[in-house]
Amino acid sequence: MSRELFLGRLRTGLAGLPPETISDFVSDYTAHFDEGVAAGRSETDVAAGLGDPARLARELKAEAGLKRWEAERNPSAAAGAIFAVLGLGVLDVVILLPILLPILGTLLGFAIASVVGFGAGAFVFVLGAFAGIARDVAAAMLAGLGVMAGSVSLGALIALVTIGLVNALVWYGRLHLKLLKPALEGGEVRS
Amino acid sequence: MPEAVQVQLKRGVLELCVLALLSRADAYAYDIAARLAVAIDMGEGTIYPLMRRMQSDGLVDTYLVESPSGPPRKYYRLTPVGRTSLTAQKAEWTSFSAAVGVILGDEK
Repeated sequence: MSRELFLGRLRTGLAGLPPETISDFVSDYTAHFDEGVAAGRSETDVAAGLGDPARLARELKAEAGLKRWEAERNPSAAAGAIFAVLGLGVLDVVILLPILLPILGTLLGFAIASVVGFGAGAFVFVLGAFAGIARDVAAAMLAGLGVMAGSVSLGALIALVTIGLVNALVWYGRLHLKLLKPALEGGEVRS
Repeated sequence: MPEAVQVQLKRGVLELCVLALLSRADAYAYDIAARLAVAIDMGEGTIYPLMRRMQSDGLVDTYLVESPSGPPRKYYRLTPVGRTSLTAQKAEWTSFSAAVGVILGDEK
């Protein structure tokens, strides 16, 4: 494989990361080719020593995704981390999906319930007395507050469970990342 | 499966090897990769993800040095955290390999 082909495949595999991150990675491997050729090796030999660029890209991307989840705990970073771990191919998607989907579905259901509950609480709080749900304005406000507080705590609980789940997944992915499985296997093939 | 055992062993000690190399002298990634590839038959591409992780874990940091041929080289050096980690990992490895050695010796 020539230098152009290797770097091209690496770039393709890294697509989706911030441009400056991609150029960092690509410059790492460009420098590696420069050094290798300066040391008298052929581009093909250097490329063979590096292993499969698509696998390298998956690993680099996974590491970047996990770092982002640790830096910023938000839904998009969580999704990025989950996809990064899945992309590593260490979790069998066929086995994982039947387990993960019901859990995610349940969490989503509870999340919606907490939002709806909060809305219903707000409705009772404001209009309870007039809609005939509560006897007077004070009772309506208290009942509404109670329902809203319950909904908020349900929502908080779901957020905690979700963060815990993503952390567990990231831990699992990291376990495999630290082992650097893809690149190592590339080296094994060579030897 | 001897091959699987070999892969597992290398996985475990790769970071330790890099820390040990850097404790003797600062080095650039190609140099580290080439030396480890020869010494323990590693895939050279492995080094770059590892160096990035070690850098983001604060074990190493980098500086640029003008190169006689081509663009400046990125040199890696150990941080104090990296040095502490090397000492700990080295002690762990030494006692572990000694324990394994005793068991293997007994079984002969």
